[in-house]
Amino acid sequence: MPEITMPRLSDTMQEGTIARWLKSPGDKVNNGKKMGEIETDKATMDLEAYDTGVLEQILVQEGATVPIGQPIAIIGSGAGREASPKHEEPATVSAASSEPTEQAAPATSPSASYIQRESVAAGESSDGTRIKASPLARRIAEEYSVDLRRVQGTGPGGRIVRDDIEDVLEQQRAKPAPAVPQPQPAAPQAVPAPEVPAHVAAPPETELIPFSRVQSLIARRLAESKQTIPHFYVSTEIDMTEVLTMRQVFNAAAGEGGVKVTVNDLIVKACALALEKYPEVNSTNKEGQFFKHTHINVGIAVDVPSGLVVPVIRDANIKGVRAIARESKALIEKARTNKLAPADLEAGTFSVSNLGMMDVSEFIAVINPPQTAILAVSSTRKQFVPVDGQPVIRDLMTVTLSADHRLLYGATVARFLQEVKGFLQNPYSLLG
Amino acid sequence: MAQITYRQALHDTLREELLRDEDVFLIGEEIGNFEGSYKITAGLLKEFGPRRVVDTTICENGFVGMATGAAMLGQRPIVEIMTINFIALAMDEIVNHAAKIYYMFGGQCPIPMVIRTPGGGGQQLAATHSQNLEVWFAHVPGLEVVAPSTPADARGMLRTAVRDNNPVIFLENLALYNVKGEVPDGDYTVPFGQANVTKEGKDLTIISYSRMAAVALDVAHRMEQENGLSIEVVDVRSLRPLDTQTIVNSVKKTNRAIVFEEDWRSFGVGAEIVARVQEEAFDDLDAPVKRVASIEVPLPYSKPLEQAALTGAKQLVDAVQELAPRRRR
Repeated sequence: MPEITMPRLSDTMQEGTIARWLKSPGDKVNNGKKMGEIETDKATMDLEAYDTGVLEQILVQEGATVPIGQPIAIIGSGAGREASPKHEEPATVSAASSEPTEQAAPATSPSASYIQRESVAAGESSDGTRIKASPLARRIAEEYSVDLRRVQGTGPGGRIVRDDIEDVLEQQRAKPAPAVPQPQPAAPQAVPAPEVPAHVAAPPETELIPFSRVQSLIARRLAESKQTIPHFYVSTEIDMTEVLTMRQVFNAAAGEGGVKVTVNDLIVKACALALEKYPEVNSTNKEGQFFKHTHINVGIAVDVPSGLVVPVIRDANIKGVRAIARESKALIEKARTNKLAPADLEAGTFSVSNLGMMDVSEFIAVINPPQTAILAVSSTRKQFVPVDGQPVIRDLMTVTLSADHRLLYGATVARFLQEVKGFLQNPYSLLG
Repeated sequence: MAQITYRQALHDTLREELLRDEDVFLIGEEIGNFEGSYKITAGLLKEFGPRRVVDTTICENGFVGMATGAAMLGQRPIVEIMTINFIALAMDEIVNHAAKIYYMFGGQCPIPMVIRTPGGGGQQLAATHSQNLEVWFAHVPGLEVVAPSTPADARGMLRTAVRDNNPVIFLENLALYNVKGEVPDGDYTVPFGQANVTKEGKDLTIISYSRMAAVALDVAHRMEQENGLSIEVVDVRSLRPLDTQTIVNSVKKTNRAIVFEEDWRSFGVGAEIVARVQEEAFDDLDAPVKRVASIEVPLPYSKPLEQAALTGAKQLVDAVQELAPRRRR
């Protein structure tokens, strides 16, 4: 009678939100088939069934957030709930699950409930040595709340095997009812999503904006960034005339169906090359310490209905502009269709935020932690520029770098920007 | 449906593939005038002539290299290595050339080559002529390694091998050639990377391939009748690619498993399968997975010693009895 628990879907995941159930109680589920969606701190991911059977019960409703490892649904044979001793939940589980609502930090609840369950099932013998039991026996014992300390193992070396647990369960069934713990029909209570304040009733003529898990996370990280990182800003104007011409020629050469290189792809490449020369700008912060990276992984900010995501183009300095174009196109598509995998969002060392297509004369961006710098790119506009005393029309673009002043100083950042500018104003250097 | 031998199944498939595709040709030692050491190619020289059925000198590295070159130019060679023991001479051509050319030269030319070769002991052919060396190849990316255990699979998988664009090591077994079995009519193929559950069961799973898969099936039927044990048999058929899912599904059902292999135990096929089972079905295991393999010695010539060193039905029965759960399901 398998119990589905909140899976761990990324390295940093501590809890997940049920975004959607695709199955209702009574529906058939198949091993390997999608049965729901889970929102993590990184992305929305599929919840796959690892068993075939009938979804008997949903324990955690859509929108609720629970720690990893907490049961969220039960798959059974379809014979009905009464037939299954599974639902005679051990007292420890209900005790553990009633607590978290009062806990300030929900992240501590998974370990608490885990330890309590472990002490019953996996446990140690009275003299403190680990009980020998097969993985399967351990799993069944945990499911049926059988105390392994009271089971006589008959496998090699006294190992407890499935047969031994089944002997115990058979004996229990033979005994009168009081020997079995009373059924506990109440589903474990969901832990509320973190960072979401208690619901306040919406005043008249206003509407409460419910935050999705992703939005909460963005809100928290941006606030943290702006409050804890001493931002400073350096701007420059870049003459884009040459690079725009080159791009046209380059894309014309790609022909029908070829990948078109965008201005942003060229800016990403220029930044990546400049970061090679100024590796301090390619740093991240971890617990107050800064780390300089050899890999240059450039994040590109993509606006999506649920907020903002920053998928990463890895090793952008060694990739050709066509490869970058192909990759960024794929990442943007994935971002827009909510298909980004956690790996797509990890390991960024620098970011580019581009509002150029939206007729923006100038803006500044908030650093994307743990990174230490982000480049804000504004629109390219035709302007008169004096050349040999004569006004000439050129395409100018303003960029502003936001940098972490704990690590970076004005002169370094200015030199870095000069380098970016140099690449974009001599665009054939980008193709090297 | 017809009852034919494994040998006949191979012979008929080779003949049909020669008829079907002009680019297909056979090459190897003694396959023409002598009609093959194990008579797989009987009559084919007469029917197709020396351009399609090429007798070579005793020079494995030479003719495997020739076949690889022919494959690069679009031919579809089917090489016979008389027994797998002689394949050592052609290792460089197989591992460094055939398996790599497609990858190292920008995918310019695939190598649609099949190397048929029988392994196996028990014929009193002594240490250098009785080996099971398939793991050498199953270890190498760029090759496909298949090992059918029945005439029907031999036919279906040889068709797949000939029509596949990768170099394929097609493992036969001396003791399988005379085995008879039902073979479906028609131009069916058996895909690579799909294991076959040849018998369903509940108490434990035996995972095997090639001749040992046939032995395992016999043992399973016998023990079901004699001991009331319900044994599931998985014939993996294809070592590379290996169908992990079918193996894991079976272990999840029975919770106990034995890998039964004719090769040596250390670093063998069983080692890989056991590793995958513990990676993917750890919580479903009720006992460590057993490996039943041959004793690790160069195989003796003496009949009693040979029989003592090779694994077989007896060793499998002992292992099943040791591993079977107390309670029947």
